[in-house]
Amino acid sequence: MKPTALPRFGKGVKLRHDGNGSVMLLIPEGALVLNASAAAALELVDGTRPLAEIVTAVAERFDVSVDHARGDILELFARLEQRGLIAPFDCAQGDKAE
Amino acid sequence: MTKLSSAPRPLSLLCELTYRCNLQCPYCYNPLDLRSYRDELTTGQWTRVLQQAADLGVVQAHFSGGEPTLRPDLVALVEAAAACGLYTNLITQGTFLDDVLLDRLVRGGLDHVQISIQAPQAALADRIAGAVVHDKKLEALRRVLSRDVALTLNCVLHRLNHDSIEDVIDYAQRLEIRRLELANVQFYGWAYRNRTALMPTLEQVRHGEQVVAAARERLRGAMEIVYVLPDYFGDFPKPCMNGWGRQFVTVTPNGYALPCPAAAGITTLTFENVRDRSLGEIWHDSASFVRYRGTDWMPEPCRSCDRRELDWGGCRCQAFLITGDAGVTDPACSLSPDHASLASLREGVSEPVYRRA
Repeated sequence: MKPTALPRFGKGVKLRHDGNGSVMLLIPEGALVLNASAAAALELVDGTRPLAEIVTAVAERFDVSVDHARGDILELFARLEQRGLIAPFDCAQGDKAE
Repeated sequence: MTKLSSAPRPLSLLCELTYRCNLQCPYCYNPLDLRSYRDELTTGQWTRVLQQAADLGVVQAHFSGGEPTLRPDLVALVEAAAACGLYTNLITQGTFLDDVLLDRLVRGGLDHVQISIQAPQAALADRIAGAVVHDKKLEALRRVLSRDVALTLNCVLHRLNHDSIEDVIDYAQRLEIRRLELANVQFYGWAYRNRTALMPTLEQVRHGEQVVAAARERLRGAMEIVYVLPDYFGDFPKPCMNGWGRQFVTVTPNGYALPCPAAAGITTLTFENVRDRSLGEIWHDSASFVRYRGTDWMPEPCRSCDRRELDWGGCRCQAFLITGDAGVTDPACSLSPDHASLASLREGVSEPVYRRA
């Protein structure tokens, strides 16, 4: 995913916040429990925010270097992208139906 | 969430809204005595169950059956689940999923639809379903693909269609389906009754594994393939339900709460009904849920096995079906003293008996 990509969730993918502070990604027939930094990154996914902005925001929030945050986020997003759970805006699943 | 016991938190509620169905698939896992399930829960009772499930920590509600679209209140139940914050999933064979119903469901908050086909070729599919429906399913698949709702295509594999596994993948690929579930038949209910007609050959199972491995590689990033292994052919049992009373709860059409959709077949256990007690009370302290929860109930070879928290002793329903005792190691495990009797069930060939609702 490029820094200018505008990531958004695939169909049927939702973030869920529990009262106790835990965050899950609900997906077709399953749920992924997220750690704090993954949750922080995915909370910013809305199809309008560029990847670079998400990286900067997470780096600031967790007081880590931008490179460190970028590595973690790219790895997470790549895994989710492979399963169709997240996509860069321009070639997301379902685009042609719209 | 109020903690009433040491029970873990259930994540998933399977609402078996009705066991009625217009198809007659011989691999159906529903119970044989379908007449006992005609006294179905009302809309109000299901709505209460959904709220109780959400209060208990459940995050996903699956609407299944039978054929759930036969319930005229399906849209209302999806709306009720969505209003409780539950992720909603419809498991259907698709023959009644027309534009009007689908749009109402999506507007009501439906997140995901799973549609099953019996085979990729109409003639074989209709023969397995016992009805001329394959083309209708294709229409339903296209309809779901064009809406803002996720889709999984499911095909249950058994001896009659296992050789078409590559064609199922091609079929899904032509439709640009993102998620495909290839599920080897699980032998419960009607499928257990028909096991000699449905049991794949060893050759089919091995071929299927190779086809799936190659397709996953080839379609990486384009299609996710979920492959449910055939459980009479492996060395270890499946981690059924990820453990009894651990993450999953099923409610039958007439209101019984079960730790596993096939558990009603265990005649040595008494299950409780959501008409009598709340789902939370049943989950936390009913005898049936507590009985095989965790690892304390385990006999050898499970008790001292390193895998006991990986597969949780396998499936209680399968242990009961094959040995008459739900409290022994799943015979699907090669370490089970009953493994030979399971292996013998792989033999024999017969014609299927079609299910009648």
